[in-house]
Amino acid sequence: MAIDNHGERDTRQTLAPAVGAPPANVVRSRGEGEDNTVLEIKDLTIDFASVDGRVRILNGVSLTAKRGEVVGIVGESGSGKTTLGMAILGLLDSPPANIVSGSITFEGRDLLKLKSAEMEKIHGTGINMVFQEPLDSLNPVYTVETQIAESLKVQRKRQNPPIARETEGETKKLITDLLRNLCIDKPEEVLERYPHELSGGMRQRVAISISTIEKPRLMISDEPTTGLDAYVQNRILGMFSAQRKAGETLLYVTHDLTIASQICDRIYIMYAGRVMEAGETRSVLQEPLHPYTSTLVASVPQGFEDAPPLSVQLGEPPDLRNLPSGCKFNPRCPYAKDVCKETEPKLEEILGRRHAACWRVDKELGKFS
Amino acid sequence: MGNLVEIEHLTVAFRSKRREGLFHSGPSLKALDDVSLTIGENETFGLTGETGSGKSTLAKVLVALYKPTSGTVRFLGREIDYKNRKDIAFLRQNVGIVFQDPVRSLNPSLTVKEVITEALIAAKSIPKKDYDERISFITKLVGVTKDLLPRRPRELSGGQRQRISLARALVVPKRLLVLDEPTSALDVSIQAQVLNTLKKLKSELNMSYLFITHDINVIKYVSHRLGVLFYGRLVEVGDTRTVDTEPKHPYTQSLISHVLTLKKVGLQETVISEHRPAPTGCRYRIVCPAAFERCAAVPSWVNLGDGHLVSCFLYDHQSRMENQALLPTAAGQVGSLRAPPHESS
Repeated sequence: MAIDNHGERDTRQTLAPAVGAPPANVVRSRGEGEDNTVLEIKDLTIDFASVDGRVRILNGVSLTAKRGEVVGIVGESGSGKTTLGMAILGLLDSPPANIVSGSITFEGRDLLKLKSAEMEKIHGTGINMVFQEPLDSLNPVYTVETQIAESLKVQRKRQNPPIARETEGETKKLITDLLRNLCIDKPEEVLERYPHELSGGMRQRVAISISTIEKPRLMISDEPTTGLDAYVQNRILGMFSAQRKAGETLLYVTHDLTIASQICDRIYIMYAGRVMEAGETRSVLQEPLHPYTSTLVASVPQGFEDAPPLSVQLGEPPDLRNLPSGCKFNPRCPYAKDVCKETEPKLEEILGRRHAACWRVDKELGKFS
Repeated sequence: MGNLVEIEHLTVAFRSKRREGLFHSGPSLKALDDVSLTIGENETFGLTGETGSGKSTLAKVLVALYKPTSGTVRFLGREIDYKNRKDIAFLRQNVGIVFQDPVRSLNPSLTVKEVITEALIAAKSIPKKDYDERISFITKLVGVTKDLLPRRPRELSGGQRQRISLARALVVPKRLLVLDEPTSALDVSIQAQVLNTLKKLKSELNMSYLFITHDINVIKYVSHRLGVLFYGRLVEVGDTRTVDTEPKHPYTQSLISHVLTLKKVGLQETVISEHRPAPTGCRYRIVCPAAFERCAAVPSWVNLGDGHLVSCFLYDHQSRMENQALLPTAAGQVGSLRAPPHESS
């Protein structure tokens, strides 16, 4: 399949659900490093001003994503995963947000230093985001068709050289096919509706189609399949896999480990605005190093009614306004030692393959001790 | 084990607001169509299906928020007349409900204690002097600490709010608790805690659950028996383990094969592009890979033994007699369709 970032991709092929590894021979776009790194976040720290003073939402987060890679950001509410996505897109309002330190490099350019006009050109076809709450991201006064067609128009205009726009009929067919691909029944009827007339799952799929039709080089999806049925969820994940095959990079934000284990090449486990563990998905989920990762894995219900209770520690999610000293997970951690309560561990490389921020992980042995 | 709830031929229809005119009402839409099921004492009945399949409608009928269009609901052997206030009061006295959204289902202006007390006042059966005792008993059981009682819902986390919903539903002892997607809005570690609490509560308070969720991993983990809804019709009922390991209805098979687990590798290829119900006959027949001429009629229930019921023509007596040779072909398409055991009703 021919892929050219400055040309048109075959829509049908891109949309067909397929599963597979990232392609070897993709054309590199400008500014991309030798190692195909599309996105590199270094030591990102973000504060939010609130009535209780400054609250640190992200603390020294570093992350990389290569071309054609699906990178999972896994964490629970308040872990800062959504803020991370918004920061990449430059959507955080300042104030209240304040980027204290760090850099976000996309295709060789530091996004934090770009002017808003330059950033706008990256939005849509460069970086795109599917938000968790689709009602907030859709325009209430336009029909579904108008909104998807608008994205398509932008996509066509930004190609170099620009591609002639499809006729109205062609556009309609393209959009209908896309919606049908997302298991939307009677897409012709849906096209004429307004966002408020659709169910939550339907809106989410419309939002996804708006993002995918722009064929961004980096797509951030924030819990895109939450609340959708297993069947539709599979279809959407299949579509994402196909996009990855076409050389798109995907940042997949979720709290659902079963989804992450399906489509992510690498995952970052976040807790209280920090990366607790990172590495290749399979190894992280099969042999978690950090106790927090183990908690998450143990929380996935397995077995039948007569199965033993799920082994999870009690305790509430962290309150960012009032974090404990030392390791932020220590109040919920069953293995916490004295040092965990005093000093915060750094995210360190373990055996060259993985990263974990835990005092109890032995760096030489690569094991939890 | 006696039956606590017996639902027979329950149909709930709504008038569609779309295409409604001044002189004609909109077309009616059956959210539930001829659904029959029973929930035993101390049993957790899991109800699953996709969005719009009528799961929540059934939940609301059981607490009399919706009235059945036709069909009967019997609770503790008493047939509920939805026009009779006493019957509705009887139903609500014995059935508690926990909704999906812990934010919207709690009154933001009341403290936690007031929220729970409201349920006691509404019940009328409990003397005022016992209120504090009941509240401290139930909050301890669901894992709400005392310091939360004077707070308001917005000051609490999602897991805590859902525990308070639970406490409110159970502060007056109930025989049945309807749980409508109780954990879908929660984080995984909190979901696990709530599921553990629910299992513990059930054994201590001696009641039944109707557990509704679209998450098959969760429903497998909590329920004894499982019912699968497809666009308002129940297509398969049976022991959870049996339904999960040997699903019979093509829809159940598709549903279960699409479930993601931590161990499963690779996505299930989805071949069906359109997922819509047929207006008549078997609702699944448009997308069903094994559909044949007879599916144009509504299939009757086939008993496969041990309470495993399936509403599909592939398994009835006539199919087996006529299409002995045909069945394996159909089975090949569907995946793990196997010839049913030799008993049918």
